[in-house]
Amino acid sequence: MLSLSHIISLIKFYLFYPSFFAVIIFPGLIFTTVILLVTIWFERKAAARVQMRIGPLYVSKRTGGLLQLVADAIRIVFSEIIIPNGVNPTLYVLAPVLPLAFSFIPMVLIPFSSIPQSGSVLSPYYYDFYDPEIGQGVLVGYFVEYNMVLVLGILAIIPIFILLQAWATNNRFAILGAVRESLLSVSYDVLILMAVVAIALEYHTLDIARVVATGIPGIIANPLAALVFFVGMIMGTGRFPFDIVEADTELVLGPATEYSGFLFVLAMGGGYIATFAYSFIFADLFLSGWAPLSGLPGALITSIKAILVLWFSVFLRSVYGRYRLDQALRGSWKYLLPVAFASIILGLVVGWIWIR
Amino acid sequence: MTSQPEPSGLQVDIIPVQGELNVGPQHPGSGHMRIYVKLSGDIIEDIDLDVGYVHRAVEKLSEIRNYMHLIPLVERPAILDAIHMNLGYILALEKILGVDVPERAQYLRSLAAEINRIASHLYGTGILGIFLGHSTAFMWGFGDREVWVEILQALTGARVTNSYVIPGGVRRDLTPAIKEMIEKALAYQRRKVKDWYKIFVNNPNIRSRLENVGVMTNENAIKWGAVGPNLRASGVYYDVRKIEPYAAYSKLDFEIPVYKEGDAYARLLVRFEEVEQSMRMIEQIIKEIPEGNILSDRFFKQIPPTRLKKWWEGQKKIVFPGYYASFRPPKGEAVSRVEAARGELLYYIVSDGSPKPYRLRIITPSYRMIYVFKQLAKGARYADLVAIYGSLDYFPPEADR
Repeated sequence: MLSLSHIISLIKFYLFYPSFFAVIIFPGLIFTTVILLVTIWFERKAAARVQMRIGPLYVSKRTGGLLQLVADAIRIVFSEIIIPNGVNPTLYVLAPVLPLAFSFIPMVLIPFSSIPQSGSVLSPYYYDFYDPEIGQGVLVGYFVEYNMVLVLGILAIIPIFILLQAWATNNRFAILGAVRESLLSVSYDVLILMAVVAIALEYHTLDIARVVATGIPGIIANPLAALVFFVGMIMGTGRFPFDIVEADTELVLGPATEYSGFLFVLAMGGGYIATFAYSFIFADLFLSGWAPLSGLPGALITSIKAILVLWFSVFLRSVYGRYRLDQALRGSWKYLLPVAFASIILGLVVGWIWIR
Repeated sequence: MTSQPEPSGLQVDIIPVQGELNVGPQHPGSGHMRIYVKLSGDIIEDIDLDVGYVHRAVEKLSEIRNYMHLIPLVERPAILDAIHMNLGYILALEKILGVDVPERAQYLRSLAAEINRIASHLYGTGILGIFLGHSTAFMWGFGDREVWVEILQALTGARVTNSYVIPGGVRRDLTPAIKEMIEKALAYQRRKVKDWYKIFVNNPNIRSRLENVGVMTNENAIKWGAVGPNLRASGVYYDVRKIEPYAAYSKLDFEIPVYKEGDAYARLLVRFEEVEQSMRMIEQIIKEIPEGNILSDRFFKQIPPTRLKKWWEGQKKIVFPGYYASFRPPKGEAVSRVEAARGELLYYIVSDGSPKPYRLRIITPSYRMIYVFKQLAKGARYADLVAIYGSLDYFPPEADR
């Protein structure tokens, strides 16, 4: 016999089931989409403030032009998709979808919060998402004990799809952009991996949730790794001053040159989502994620920290120009790689002395 | 003969070690021209500049127009440097006519020219900024330029293409309200230049993009015929304002910034220091400008008294006397040189005694930069193409005329 309250509790159970809730609603797909729009709004407004102008204001003056983003999104989504002659249409359409998908998949694996045994709306899932490393449940789409490795592995695939994108569009500027991406990806992936290895050695774990549960923010325990990770992150996601792959005055838009309409949104949105995913990792590893809260408020804290990191990285646009490819490569191999080694040594020492 | 394979869309002519790129004419970083780049890896082996996309036949058109009607036309090639384009033409024309220009008009010509120089340098810096991806410099360049363009509007009646300089003088007089505007603008720009140095000129990112990029040695600069700030950034002390002073420059105290390095960064620094020097000159002009008429007596006397009363005494504006409608200068030829914002600008007029010039030749500074650009880009990295382009302040319409 199903009573109304029973149905409601059933709906509530499935709605808040972490694999659905964390991935689709908060801080997953829907929340990410909203944040992306707000981020672009913030990027424009912050740049406008620096550049002595007003920024979007024409549509909805009262909300500071926030609706301009909706108008822009509608316009660009419904504009015509042009598929050039002489490309393989299947690959051409698939190529921008794949980087977007693989930018989003890490959001399934990143722990957003912990689940206390009782007292939280998420407590019923305590045992299903139990993390033996921290002795609590974690709010995560799919719990893997070695999520640190898996998340980075998935994010490291993206450059291959960007190469595919350039290959499928058959444009010389796109190919040049892809060459730059392939050269850059080698260097930034090394930096990010080494920073994360330093953290893993320091906290004696490959579980992101365990790092947060330790209670010591990574940025205090290992500032070098935080620096290396951040630079690797803005390099990998093409934020300024490393907007080298899509350098518009040199390469039109790099691998995204030929795309138009909704495919263009997908091609450009991948970068933002990847930045957001990296921001979540940064918030968890270096800014101690959901601490001091847990449950749903904890996920909110993690998201706010990640949004701050994301906004800081998009704000760099109004301060910096763009480095040259050889300068970025020299910077990462000559100057940042030694720092990354130093961060590993620092991680070993601190992990041996301080963090148990 | 080999059979052509079915196009599956998967063949890609992968950029070989040697490859070509068509940068422009529809490209965010090309301007109104096509840059045909031969790449070897990331290094530019050679570039061909396919210019002429905005050729408007100014020289040919000027053979079928009256001298007075030519003033708006010769401004068109470089609308953001209109005062200089105008001034050079009038100087050559005045040599044929043999007119004396009153002192006050000379000062006003220098004033308008220097205001225009600041506006033009800010524009060029803004373009260099966006070429390097620095959007703040782009917006600041255009935003600060607005201040000076507004002053030009108050002084001449138009933001660009001012047609301010006329044979024998200038069209409008300086009023106390404009003086006040200029003083405010000077204070603002001085404050703002400090911010410019903080966020753009001394930005390590911008410095690393510009230092040792597109290096032009002293000898090469002379050999390739560079002019203006680009020449002075290569250590050559050459400025028409000093070498062959026109307008009021012989009475003004100013310095010519010269740098030895010859790289893109030196060219940027020269422009910023010229802005400072221009502001010094503007200060001197508004302090020292002599009283008097702004049009040569020879033409001033021809203005009807009723119109003189209404326009000159009421609003300090010159109404054109009937003489200007289609005057016939004596036979002869004249050359004039002015230091435009981008460098030496040369006019050559041949008059055959008819109301239209027999021949008008303009050699613009950007035209002389085409060869410099081609030479500097050789051996640079592909990403440096835009840095060299922007640092030369090359302006395609000016080159194409």
